[in-house]
Amino acid sequence: MNEKYFHSVVLNEDRCVGCTSCLKVCPTEAIRLKEGKARIIGEKCIDCGECIRICPNHAKSAVTDNIGILKKYKYTIAIPSLVLYGQFRSNVGINEMLTAVKKVGFDEVYEASIGTEIITNVVKNHMLKDNKIKRPIINSTCPATLRLIQIRFPELLPNIADIETPIEIAARLAKVETAKKTGFSMDEIGVVFISPCTARMTSSRNPLGIEKSYIDGVLSMKDVYGMMLRNLNNGKVDVMTRSTKESLLWPITGGQGEPLGIENYLAVDGINEVIKVLEEIEMDKLDGLEFFEGMACVGGCVGGPLTIENPFIARSRMKALSKGLPNSAAGEEEIKVQIEMYKEGFIRLTEPIEPRAVMRLDDDISKSIKKMEMIKEMLKDLPGIDCGVCGAPTCKAFAEDIVKGNNRDEVCMVKSMKSFNNGKA
Amino acid sequence: MEDIKYVFEVEKDDFVRAGETSSKIKKTLRELGIDSSIIRKISIATYEAEMNIVIHSLGGEIVLEITPGTIKITASDRGPGIADVELAMKEGYSTASDRVREMGFGAGMGLPNMKKCSDRFCVTSSEGKGTYIVIEVDLKAGE
Repeated sequence: MNEKYFHSVVLNEDRCVGCTSCLKVCPTEAIRLKEGKARIIGEKCIDCGECIRICPNHAKSAVTDNIGILKKYKYTIAIPSLVLYGQFRSNVGINEMLTAVKKVGFDEVYEASIGTEIITNVVKNHMLKDNKIKRPIINSTCPATLRLIQIRFPELLPNIADIETPIEIAARLAKVETAKKTGFSMDEIGVVFISPCTARMTSSRNPLGIEKSYIDGVLSMKDVYGMMLRNLNNGKVDVMTRSTKESLLWPITGGQGEPLGIENYLAVDGINEVIKVLEEIEMDKLDGLEFFEGMACVGGCVGGPLTIENPFIARSRMKALSKGLPNSAAGEEEIKVQIEMYKEGFIRLTEPIEPRAVMRLDDDISKSIKKMEMIKEMLKDLPGIDCGVCGAPTCKAFAEDIVKGNNRDEVCMVKSMKSFNNGKA
Repeated sequence: MEDIKYVFEVEKDDFVRAGETSSKIKKTLRELGIDSSIIRKISIATYEAEMNIVIHSLGGEIVLEITPGTIKITASDRGPGIADVELAMKEGYSTASDRVREMGFGAGMGLPNMKKCSDRFCVTSSEGKGTYIVIEVDLKAGE
């Protein structure tokens, strides 16, 4: 497997019928039909999972680890995404869910809530107070949004909050605490994330902004869901949740901006809406915006492609569960310690996030110009209905592929059909 | 030398499509592999020029010309023209109607912003006929 372009999203060829549905929803035009199968162009994919969601034949799925990974470690810790709390019927409490996760075979379950609390505290009490930090500050928590910015909005890379995600922070704290508590070495402790997110899977293997992730394995929430169901209502429930109201609302769009206590934040979900608003930010059109929360999935992480429950239902359940929880109440001293942790680099993005100019036609501008002229000429001759039959999502993409030398065989079928002549001779 | 030229029509009062031209230009520049800081400057300047045509004129066009050394945007319109160009270049000066201001435009930053974003900037206008704006940004050496 080409690790440089490792992606969690994969194609099950037997199931793919070549229907072109995924071609059309891919926000970076990263899919082409070749020999009737929807293949992903590695360098363009941002792992948003739109293709997984839309595929009527479930031919697109995500590579995750399997439960066998637990055998590799002497001590295992599960960190379920907070979104898990929205996946079960309303009579199931958080502690019951966490107990059910543990019974899947983990030595310990560690909540991601601590990570959300720390991020809010650092952004609110440190980043927003420092005028030298570029505005708007963009959340670093959605890996698909980050990859999108790398490809389409490189000018906004300096705006990304250089703090780790809640899961990564929780993983780091959990591992260090456990090593101290049990005496096991870091390598003997396995931290496994239970993920609603395809892009997060990719990020644990190919991290962005950090050298190495503390997450040793990623299980799909879909896979763990079934195992958990069997463990629910089955014996003693351990009381282990330390979640707060704020942490439960965090994975729902607006949950990151709201607790910052500022008026000028903007929370947007759905990859196409995120693109539109980032366009506005890049053009300096949103004056005075302090914080931008961009979530690729509709609803926020509750809409992740590896979830079971509808995002709106999950959201409503999490809101209901949050009502029974205490407010977050970190003291001044605690916040100081957290900001120190950030400054020292323990929970900070220490590696630069580089732009990836995958949209360009050629590295040499004169050649790019020549290629663009050729595309312009070809487009005059193409029907412009973006049907996808040739395997490219649009007529323009078809022309680009030919000019770039990535497509030597395909022809435009529609051009030869009289009914689609479009007034052209 | 290979040059490329695109012409975009801009209609007056069409706030739904307003911004499309600058978006298209931005996309084109990205595909060409132009440096992202230059793309940003050009798109901000083009957006301002485009909005000026939508808000103030009777319609016009924006032309994008690219050579390996320079990007040139020419915005020309038919319309009332600008009576006092020097005054219009002052930040905050605007002749936009209340209706337009209510929509969040007409802050009087259009021309000054365009100038800020360009390496060479030129505006000529004749009252009752129209306005002609040229924005040029140089591509850095070695690109």
